[in-house]
Amino acid sequence: MSIFESGVSYQNNPPTVYFDGTSSRRRLVTLAFSDALEISEDGALPARWAYEDIRQADSPAGTLRLSCLSAPPLARVEIRNTALATELTSRCTRLGENRTDGRAVAKIVGWSLAAVVSIVVVVLFAIPLAADRLAPLVPQAFERRVGEASDVQIKAIFGNRVCTNAAGQAAYTKLLTLLRGAAGLDLAPVQSSVLDTPVPNAFALPGGKVYLFNGLLAKAQNPDEIAGVLAHELGHLKHRDNMRGLIYNGGTSFLIGLLFGDVTGSSALIFASRTLVTASHSREAEEGADTFAIDVMHKLGRSPKPMGELLFRVTGKEGDSNLSILASHPLTEDRLKRMTAEDHPPSGPPLLTDREWAALKGTCGGAAKK
Amino acid sequence: MTSVPIVPPPAPQPPPLPPTQASFAGDRGEFFRLAARGAGLELVTAGFYRFWLATDIRRHLWSNTLIDGDAAEYTGRGKELLIGFLFAMAILVPIYLAYFLIGIEAERFKEFASFPLILAFYAFGQFAIYRARRYRLTRTIWRGVRFWMDGSGWAYSWRAVLWGFLVMATLGFALPWREAALERYKMRHSFYGDLQGEFVGEGKEFFKRAWGLWVLAPFALVLFPAFPFLYAYFKAIEWRWWLSGIRFGGVRLESKLEPGALIGLYWKVIGWYFLASFAVGIYFTICAAIITGLGGGHAAGPAALTKNIPLLVMTVIGYLGLILSLNVVIRVYLMRDLWGRVLQSVQVHNIGAAANVTAKGELASALGEGFADGLDVAGF
Repeated sequence: MSIFESGVSYQNNPPTVYFDGTSSRRRLVTLAFSDALEISEDGALPARWAYEDIRQADSPAGTLRLSCLSAPPLARVEIRNTALATELTSRCTRLGENRTDGRAVAKIVGWSLAAVVSIVVVVLFAIPLAADRLAPLVPQAFERRVGEASDVQIKAIFGNRVCTNAAGQAAYTKLLTLLRGAAGLDLAPVQSSVLDTPVPNAFALPGGKVYLFNGLLAKAQNPDEIAGVLAHELGHLKHRDNMRGLIYNGGTSFLIGLLFGDVTGSSALIFASRTLVTASHSREAEEGADTFAIDVMHKLGRSPKPMGELLFRVTGKEGDSNLSILASHPLTEDRLKRMTAEDHPPSGPPLLTDREWAALKGTCGGAAKK
Repeated sequence: MTSVPIVPPPAPQPPPLPPTQASFAGDRGEFFRLAARGAGLELVTAGFYRFWLATDIRRHLWSNTLIDGDAAEYTGRGKELLIGFLFAMAILVPIYLAYFLIGIEAERFKEFASFPLILAFYAFGQFAIYRARRYRLTRTIWRGVRFWMDGSGWAYSWRAVLWGFLVMATLGFALPWREAALERYKMRHSFYGDLQGEFVGEGKEFFKRAWGLWVLAPFALVLFPAFPFLYAYFKAIEWRWWLSGIRFGGVRLESKLEPGALIGLYWKVIGWYFLASFAVGIYFTICAAIITGLGGGHAAGPAALTKNIPLLVMTVIGYLGLILSLNVVIRVYLMRDLWGRVLQSVQVHNIGAAANVTAKGELASALGEGFADGLDVAGF
């Protein structure tokens, strides 16, 4: 060992390759070990690298490639001789310092877990809170615009088959006006209509438009059934669930997307976890709207039970049904049970006369198809 | 500590040499371990490890790529990608929000009027692709000199968009010319030290070799098993054409990749995909059987899944296992093996022209990679 420390280079080393980092010239050099690594070429000494500044760079197997902190950043020494490589490795104590070792990986894992925890906390607590607080602050005008935008799309999807029967429309408007009055909605009344589509559903758009689908109307047996469903939809409007859902869904899908990044198939994963997370949130909103509907029906002196019966007729016992629109709702049998518990004999006048009810049922032409 | 000032030696004039063969020296087992470990860490870190895994993969591929006996090197780091990603998010989030609001305004007037916004995102994606390439190129070192790039991401982006329209209008017919034009732009702005890049491939040549695939493509969409063959042929032709068009100063690349050279790789991935899906199917069946056995036998069908927490957890585990193992398969076959196979086909002519290149060029930030990740257009 002492022979190297005295600064003597050993001449019979296999030539080492040196790139000075300023040009691509491949220089054959000899290495000598003194108090620093001496790189010499044809007797000249182009570089001296201090041992503690030497780091290992990536290289194929069988080559030891070195860089030096105090040399140009891309200067490289490539040693292809095992004995020489071993000799050098024993002198450079900080050779492997810029490699990703176990501790670096542990750090990445630790920070990632912290990020995951923080995202989960945000999704579970912060976003619902933000949605609850922000939804009432959304200006009415903006909400109406969102409604108008979705209105155009809905009409495109369902073929724009608005039922225009005058008597039916009048009955529908009367029913909605009654419900609006009882609900105490301060929204300006908007032209609402029945759409001729077999899908059994109804929904309220932000801004106040309430769509009833003929498919649901066809399955209804009396005005109270439809009134309950419409009151439920008005409940969503009153609670501004649309806006809340928009903020909530936007926030969670963004954050969960951030979390899973580009793990292939992540869209399915994002969809699955989002469905799980948002289902509970939307169930809460549905229960709130049901409470509201029960309340409105009581105010009008009618029973909410028919609504439960209509829903049960549509979905059947849940588990047999896979209507995607209703998937995030509470179980129909539970809703029916709840509304049956709130059943009172009617104390108010019927919401629609028999004639009006018949007109509403037949508003889309073919009368009741079923 | 002391680096003695270097006197630039006189430039040697090497005689014209026979072409040198590029080669790949990577150990397959090592890459497999790297990919498998990376997939596991991606799972543990909920995907955040992707920045380091991408870096590890590139470091492995680059440092085992030998040209004229000297290996390249990748000097990018995972942390740079993470920071680039965070910066990109800080810019993308307000853009997404604006996109959402503008979308609402546009939809009010006409349904699906937000199409121009989708176009804007496509253009942004092309910008990201260019900038990500610049990041990767400036981290690519060979013989102590880095590659680098100038040019403008936006100038590239509008070219890509206009050519994209043309390709759509001609039902894909114009694709070779689009690729040639975009490669010309990219290579013209790529440098190795002070050697400027150039792309001499022509759309016409590409079309001459690949037009048959263009004719067959509609049939392959109907006849599923034909599709991987077609795609593999197309990729092989594309690689060969692309590599053979690359120039750096006097250095000329040439590829002799056989058109059928990649078919095996794609079929192996498909084979593994079916095998893994089959294994997961068996796993699900066993899980369901065990749990119904324990739980009194009333749980059956997909509806029961949502009510049965252990079954749900086991399903998620199975699904994640499937995705992670497929990720490893894809990385081994379609990154490492494909890289190696393509590289073996490359011959470098007149490498002497790169024997004394002066280092030049600045490092580019990883912001472009962050955009590419955020917009899901990431490449290698």
